[in-house]
Amino acid sequence: MIEVRGLSIAVGNFRIDHLDLILQEGGYNVLLGPTGSGKTLVLESVIGLRNFQSGEIMVGGKEIQNLPPERRGISYLPQDLALFPHLTVRENLLYGLRAQKRSSEENENHLRRLIDTLKIGHLLDRYPQGLSGGEKQRVALGRALAPSPRLLLLDEPLAALDPGLKSEIQQLLISLHRSLQFTALHVTHDLQEAYLLGDTITVLIAGKVEQRGKREEVFFRPKTTGVAQFLGLQNLFPERVLAVEGDGKSLTVSFWGKEVTLPADHAAGPLSAGEDVVLHLRPEEIMILREGKPIKESLRRNILEGEMVRILDRGTHRWALFQPAGMDIHLEIHLPNYVFRNLSIQERQKIRVAMRWEAFWVIPTS
Amino acid sequence: MNFGKTAVYAALALFLFYVVLIFSLLTFFEGKSFLEVLLAPDTLFSIRLSLLAATIATLLAVAIGLPAAYALSRASFPGKKLVDTFLELPMIMSPIALGAALLIFFNTSIGAVIQEKGILFVFEFPGIVLAQFATIAGLATRLMKTALDEISPRYEAVARSLGSSAWGAFWKITFPLALRGLVSTMILCWAKAIGEFGATVTLAGTMAYKTETMPIAIFMALASADLRKTIILILILAGIGLSALYAVRFVGKRPQVL
Repeated sequence: MIEVRGLSIAVGNFRIDHLDLILQEGGYNVLLGPTGSGKTLVLESVIGLRNFQSGEIMVGGKEIQNLPPERRGISYLPQDLALFPHLTVRENLLYGLRAQKRSSEENENHLRRLIDTLKIGHLLDRYPQGLSGGEKQRVALGRALAPSPRLLLLDEPLAALDPGLKSEIQQLLISLHRSLQFTALHVTHDLQEAYLLGDTITVLIAGKVEQRGKREEVFFRPKTTGVAQFLGLQNLFPERVLAVEGDGKSLTVSFWGKEVTLPADHAAGPLSAGEDVVLHLRPEEIMILREGKPIKESLRRNILEGEMVRILDRGTHRWALFQPAGMDIHLEIHLPNYVFRNLSIQERQKIRVAMRWEAFWVIPTS
Repeated sequence: MNFGKTAVYAALALFLFYVVLIFSLLTFFEGKSFLEVLLAPDTLFSIRLSLLAATIATLLAVAIGLPAAYALSRASFPGKKLVDTFLELPMIMSPIALGAALLIFFNTSIGAVIQEKGILFVFEFPGIVLAQFATIAGLATRLMKTALDEISPRYEAVARSLGSSAWGAFWKITFPLALRGLVSTMILCWAKAIGEFGATVTLAGTMAYKTETMPIAIFMALASADLRKTIILILILAGIGLSALYAVRFVGKRPQVL
């Protein structure tokens, strides 16, 4: 287990106060946050490049915050890769083993396997300047992993890549992690990248850890409105809990003058009646009802009538804007293409939508 | 006239200005006497003295300036801006004023102790080295800082994460990457030290076969109306200086950084 406990850093007016970060050993951990959230400060503190006011960094139960960077066993892969331009690929790859005086047969065998896995054997005598973007990424990964670090820190390594190369390197990172099982901390502001790579995601906003959890938990069940907004979630409405029923197993929440009832596990934490909340309706879980077809009992509870305002083809799905009658709001709805074709609806058409329980997520505001 | 052409004409005008200056010397130049003056014992002494003093002053300036430049480039510390400002002092201060300040310093109690118990500077060879050092140390530090600024600190961060100590990361990564810039700095500072006159003449005097560097020899030859010797010494000094500056154009190419 790698842990950061009570990390406090102050730089100018920006402060990080008592930040805790838990990294799953052998896992691909992502630190996700918007620009200026303090990700780089945390990363620099973990590597040992920045002094901080207080806090502990524990690796395998041992404190390492007082050790210099070279004795922490943490490899660093920056965004620009920082391949040493005056050294060949071979010298770059061997740098860590030589610096740590670990030129044993076992380590060299590990390096050979790494070179095979990364398919960079033909590049060994070349200099970084002559390599393609993808080759540079592979060599930088090889150099960082060659000394078998206890932790690999990746600082937005895919941020400057074009989409094709980005996808290639993402796949490489997934397969490399699967075969080598190294512990990674990948820092990024890219939601898609975090979702694709992260086993565990920690969301950092304005110097505070807002949420930590498995990727599905973070992306589909945000715990705070800050996380929901950062994730770019649509259909967020400030509402109130009207009642908690059935020994806390069921909630009734206001929704623009109406009431919706849903199981309590569709809320981020226990709630009480009268509490202000943000109600999130997942656009892909809102169901358009086909006229003339019988409606299931379970769907009858939360039905809205209204007008389809706009429909756009997004390639992978149809994006639609629905205005419920008597409400001054628009609901975003995502429809799979085949569903849209079966429904054959048009703009300005009057329709009915059913909001399944799966569509709701209640986020406390306090 | 378009902007590009005007700019090129300005560059050519400047070039011609200096070329005319050099060629004007040749008006009074007698080829036969060139070797005679060049091989004269006092000329050879001046050349040797200038080369030796400038080399020692440059090595000292680099030895002290390089760590200082590293600190200014990479670290933040209280008073950094003040230190940075003082490095420019020799650039804005007249060399004679700098020499006079040194001379006055050696008349203070601390300076007198250094002279008595340590090394004699005033009117001695160490005085030449010190005067040249005072003139070029700030410039050397500033130029080396620029060379180091161009090398991303991330190289060192990566090297340290891979197991290098701070020293190891500097010597194995930053130093080789900045080497061309550092060598250019050494050549430029050496050329400036060779031509240094004001501070040297004030601190070390004009003693023949003792403190007579090339610029001082030129001054002495001119003072005694020996035009032939003056011109030849200027041509030798200009030749050494221009060769050094031309060498910088070749050394100055840095390796392509990612």
